[in-house]
Amino acid sequence: MDLPNERIPDCTGWRWVTDRGLRLETGGHTLARYQLLISRDLPEVESIIPADDSILLVLRRGAVISAGLRAALEMPLDLRSQTASRLHRIVASYGGKAGPDLAALAERAGLSQQDWIAQHAAAEYRVAFLGFQPGFPYLAGLPEKLRAPRRAEPRVHVPAGSLAIGGPYAGIYPKSGPGGWQIVGVTEAVLFDPRQSSPVLFAPGDRVRFEAL
Amino acid sequence: MTGLAVVEIVRAGLCDLVVDQGRPGYEHLGVPSGGAADPDALAVANRLVGNDATAAGLELAYSGPALRFPQGGTVGICGACFTATRSSDTAVKWNETLVLAPGEILDLGAAREGCRCWLAIGGGLEVPVVMDSRSTFLPAGFGGLQGRGLRHGDVLRLGETADPKRLLRATPPAELNDNCLRVVAGPQAGLFDDAGLAAFFSEPYRVASASDRRGLRLNGTALSRATTELPSQGVLPGAVQVPPNGQPIILGWDGPVTGGYPVIAGVIRADWPRLAQLRPGDEVRFVTIELEAARALADAEWKIGGRA
Repeated sequence: MDLPNERIPDCTGWRWVTDRGLRLETGGHTLARYQLLISRDLPEVESIIPADDSILLVLRRGAVISAGLRAALEMPLDLRSQTASRLHRIVASYGGKAGPDLAALAERAGLSQQDWIAQHAAAEYRVAFLGFQPGFPYLAGLPEKLRAPRRAEPRVHVPAGSLAIGGPYAGIYPKSGPGGWQIVGVTEAVLFDPRQSSPVLFAPGDRVRFEAL
Repeated sequence: MTGLAVVEIVRAGLCDLVVDQGRPGYEHLGVPSGGAADPDALAVANRLVGNDATAAGLELAYSGPALRFPQGGTVGICGACFTATRSSDTAVKWNETLVLAPGEILDLGAAREGCRCWLAIGGGLEVPVVMDSRSTFLPAGFGGLQGRGLRHGDVLRLGETADPKRLLRATPPAELNDNCLRVVAGPQAGLFDDAGLAAFFSEPYRVASASDRRGLRLNGTALSRATTELPSQGVLPGAVQVPPNGQPIILGWDGPVTGGYPVIAGVIRADWPRLAQLRPGDEVRFVTIELEAARALADAEWKIGGRA
């Protein structure tokens, strides 16, 4: 079957998502490309959404893709000059009632619960992107050994502040609600408060460290 | 000026939401742009009452509220026609400026066809601005009136109005009376086998009851493909995701900003007004349109003029 519209002529690695979203493949350099794009004045772009090895640019209605945007999408990245990013220290308590999946995850990793917690808290994470809920961070940097698939049966109720593991990512639930990630602990940090002038604690590229209570 | 004017909710509808043109630009923080499902219809309703197009109004779905105007006011309603009465016994007309007397009640019933209409009130609805918008975002409970739909007994404050106003009438864009949604191929269309693609573009799908502003769930021929889960990618309203059960979901205005299911196609922006009027049980068909043709489509035009 003929598949029209997959690519803009002359440019590889771009795909359209509806007629408003331009999806750009970023390889392993999503954050670097994201930071380059947000540093530019791109009047035709309404939103820039980083994700897993891709970025979605949502174009304004009627926008025409300018030479400036093409250049920003194709410009080589200078990976040495990463902008300094904020570091958040998140105090967390692990295991017990607030971390119902910790025991099973530790067993899966062949670690004691103490060692699992120590490894989780020793790593430095990077906010790769946000999604699922307002302020929900996908934290890259989870040690290989601690990775675990999502639960086969999602929970109907995951409390706000729950520390979670989903595949290669660590995460924190900003708000209570249903959720399919493995739950290992809880923090009192507020990740999303729409009443504040800057409602979301984390931004893409921020660094995060956990401190076990 | 009437800075203290209010509107009272005498009876709530099924889902009455305060909305405006949305909050684009926060998707990277996990917050969708949201806003009116048919932003142009709300913008025109606003113009009918002399408001800025960006003022907040109400989005009413399935069945509307009864509103009392203690100080009177002006109202404009665009979108699907609902049954409606006024306590003054004056006819309630869509797409024109309505002038309500002090104390008058505007009582909206069920949608006659379609799903949603947008109701603007002179002065606009004065609810707090959250992340640059007054739109309600139900999934996280913020924006609009305390992050929720309207309830019996709520009182909404109105902004200042600039009197006197002209009485206006609007003409909606020509109605498309088939059930087709125009789509461009999605970034993962190539993951689907020929049978899946053939089904998607030839079989009808029915809107399922579990549909809301987050997404329109469809039932029909299941779409099979090789991969089930992908790395999360940015998504936006209109993207058609296919979860493991093969039943497509058209992401809506309050849908997620990233998703891990393959996107087979994307409903074009020009067909949002049609998406906004779909309700459970409706049948839809997908037809392809060339990307360049979709992007070159002129915005469907509402016409506004004086009312005799």
